[in-house]
Formats: sequence, structure tokens, C-alpha cells
Amino acid sequence: MRNLLDFLYKYHHWLVFIVLEVVSVVLLFQYNSYQNSVWFSTASAMAGKVYELESKMTAYLSMAKENEELTMRNLYQERQLDQLRRLYAEATKDTTAAEMKELEFLSQYKLIPAKIVENSIHRLENLIMIDKGRKDGVEPDMGVACGNGVVGVVYLVSDHYSVVISALNTASSRISCAIRGRGYFGYLHWYGGDPTVAYVEDIPRHAKFNLGEWMVTSGFSSIFPSGVQVGRIEQAYNSSDGLSYKLKIRLSTDFCNVRDVVVISDKSIAERAALMQAARDSISFKQRQ
Amino acid sequence: MKIELINRMVMFFSLLVAQVLILNHVHMFEVGTPLLYVYFAITFRRHFPKWLVLLSCFMLGLMVDIFSNTPGLASSVMTVTGLAQCYLLNLIVPRDSAADLASSIKTLGFSKFVTLSALLTLLYCVLFFALEAFNFFDIWMWLARSLVSSALTLVLIVAIESVRSR
Repeated sequence: MRNLLDFLYKYHHWLVFIVLEVVSVVLLFQYNSYQNSVWFSTASAMAGKVYELESKMTAYLSMAKENEELTMRNLYQERQLDQLRRLYAEATKDTTAAEMKELEFLSQYKLIPAKIVENSIHRLENLIMIDKGRKDGVEPDMGVACGNGVVGVVYLVSDHYSVVISALNTASSRISCAIRGRGYFGYLHWYGGDPTVAYVEDIPRHAKFNLGEWMVTSGFSSIFPSGVQVGRIEQAYNSSDGLSYKLKIRLSTDFCNVRDVVVISDKSIAERAALMQAARDSISFKQRQ
Repeated sequence: MKIELINRMVMFFSLLVAQVLILNHVHMFEVGTPLLYVYFAITFRRHFPKWLVLLSCFMLGLMVDIFSNTPGLASSVMTVTGLAQCYLLNLIVPRDSAADLASSIKTLGFSKFVTLSALLTLLYCVLFFALEAFNFFDIWMWLARSLVSSALTLVLIVAIESVRSR
């Protein structure tokens, strides 16, 4: 305190100087209309610049949220489009009924937005970790997709995180897909190597399709709803037994660059799984008899 | 001290009257106006209380402002000049000179006094016209006004000082 007072005493003329200058400047801007207007316009221009910068920054920061929303929206619209395409193909006469059917179809699924926290593409068995878990409603065997297409299937779930078996996994692939608009289906397989290419086997030989057509999920596996993009058909080979085609698929999801995903929760999965299990049990029971 | 204060006050009012009544109406070459009241700031003796220097300079500036309808303009620049004078005078005079050395031709000598006056006058004019224009779009006009005005002021100061030193 003493030092402060000494300091003030020693340099009191600077204090006087600052006070007098402040008074002068206030007088200058208060009572001179020219200086006042110049000051005012410069100050408002500066403030405008600062606010502009601030709004740019907040826009940038809110982009993550926007991205998430767009992913959701994209997936939703993709499925809607698929539904419409199918309905159009069926050439339904009654449009109100078609619309109701579509809404019913869409409300069947719940979408849980999530972020990928860990990802790999270079191993043979690639796993992905996402930041949503049991507490957010994620269960094993739910499908995971991003705005561009399928990503994988939930395998293990903890309270706040989940491990997803990527579509790029040689050990197990359970994604059933079909050629869009034609309905021939098979299972997606990946044999390692190029993370942008996978194969679909068991497409019957009488199936008609063109190269470049889209593969979408079939909806048979009850993991994914039908119509989620998988990729484009790039080439068709004969399978080793010669009874079916093996299709080379250029995946639409860029696994190297995927960040925002959604977990697709289907309320009917449990019911379907239980029914299927019951059927299997019943058949094996009959066979044993 | 008392006599000095009275002297200062007389100088204060005579410079104010001269500036307001006569010199404010001089516009040489449409650009130069002598700002003689800066002479008040130049002539403070060494180790004069700094706060008093600042305050009296501010008051003189404010008075000039009131009469020329530019509140805050001359007062702010006069305050800066007052502060600069305290430090400049200490720089110019030898360290061992008297503590109450007056700032005039008689005590400092012609060249030192003119240097001091020229520096302070130039500082004053440059700041004054910068603040008056308040932008730098017409930089040549600003420089011309500063230079012509400080030259005029300096001539007047030297004239007065040589009369006083006799």
C-alpha cells in the first residue's frame, strides 16, 4: 500500500495528465459535431467488423450441430425417397393411403445421432467406437449409418459408448443388401485391402441388372430398414461354384472420413428376432421328434 | 514564487487575448495561423511543479477553445505540449544547471532556446491540425498547415523573446 502511495506521489503528474486528456477528449467528441461524427462512424464501423467476426466464428462453431442435423435429415429423406420410389413403381392409385403407409414405415424407426470416437480401416477386423451407449437407447444389433450410407452394426454396448462392427470387417458381415428397384439380395462381404470396395455374393444368375446401379439395404435382416445406400455396382463376376454372381461394390460411405453417424433403432427388431427364434426352435424340435 | 505566479497569470491572459482577438484571424497563404499561446508552455522554468504546468496549459487551451468554438481541441494538445516541455527542457539544459533555470534566450542561449521552441511548436501544430482534421485523407494539406503555422509561431516567439531579453 505504501509502495503504491509512493508510486502515485512520484508519478502524480502522469495521473493529472491522463485526467486532463480524458476531459479534453470527452469535450472534443461531445461538443464538436465534426469530430463526433467521424468518431462515431469509425467506432461503429469497427464494432460492425468485430460483430461480423463474432458471427462468423459462432457460425463455424455451430457447424458440428448442423452437420449432425443434416446427417439425420439426409438419412430420413433417403428412406423417404426409397419409399416413394417403391410406391411409384407399384403405381398406387390411392395417394392418401400411400402417404399413410409411408409415415407408418418411417415412424417405425428411431434415429440416435452419434459421433465416431475411434475408427480403423487398415486391419482385417475393423471396429468403430461411437459416443452413445445403453443410456442413450443403443442396443446390440442395431444398424449404424451416416449420410452417405451404411457404416456397420452395433456389437457391444456399455453405458455411454458402443462398439460397432464396421462394414469393413472380414470376420462377420450381417448387412443384407439388394439391388435398388430389382429386389435381388445378398450379403455384403469385405475381404480386406481397399476400404472403398466390398463384394455382394449370392445374386442369382437370372437376375437382371446394370453396372452402376445402386445397392441398398434390403430390410430383410431387421438391422437396417430397406433403402439405405450401400454403394454402386462396379463389376460382376461369376461365383466360384458358378451358380450365382459376385458383385464388386464401390462403397458410398467414405470410411476414412466418417464422423457423424446415426444409430437406427427398430422397435420391431426384438419382436422379429423372437419370432424367428421361435420358428427355428419349433423346426428343430420337430426334426428331433 | 508569488511574483512568478502573477507573471504567469499576466502572460496567460495577454496570450489569450492576443490569440483570440488578433492571431485567430490571421490566415497566411490560406493555411497558416500563428498559435502563439504555445509560448506559454515553452517558458516554464526548470522544476516548476509538473501538475501545475499541466493544469495551467490545459486551462489556457480550454480558454482558447471556448473563444474559437473548438472545445477540447487546444486543451488536449496544450496538455501534451506542457508534459513534453518538462522533459525536453531537462534534456536540453546541462545536468548541473540551476534547479530553477528559466527557459528563455537569456538563460539558455539562442540556439538551445530556438531548438526547444521549434520542437515544441512543431509538436503542437502537428497534433493540433491532425486532431482538427481528424483524418489523414488530405495529408499534404495537414502537413502544409502544420509547417506554415509552426514557422509563423516560431518567428513570433523569437521576436517576443528577443524583445524581452534586452
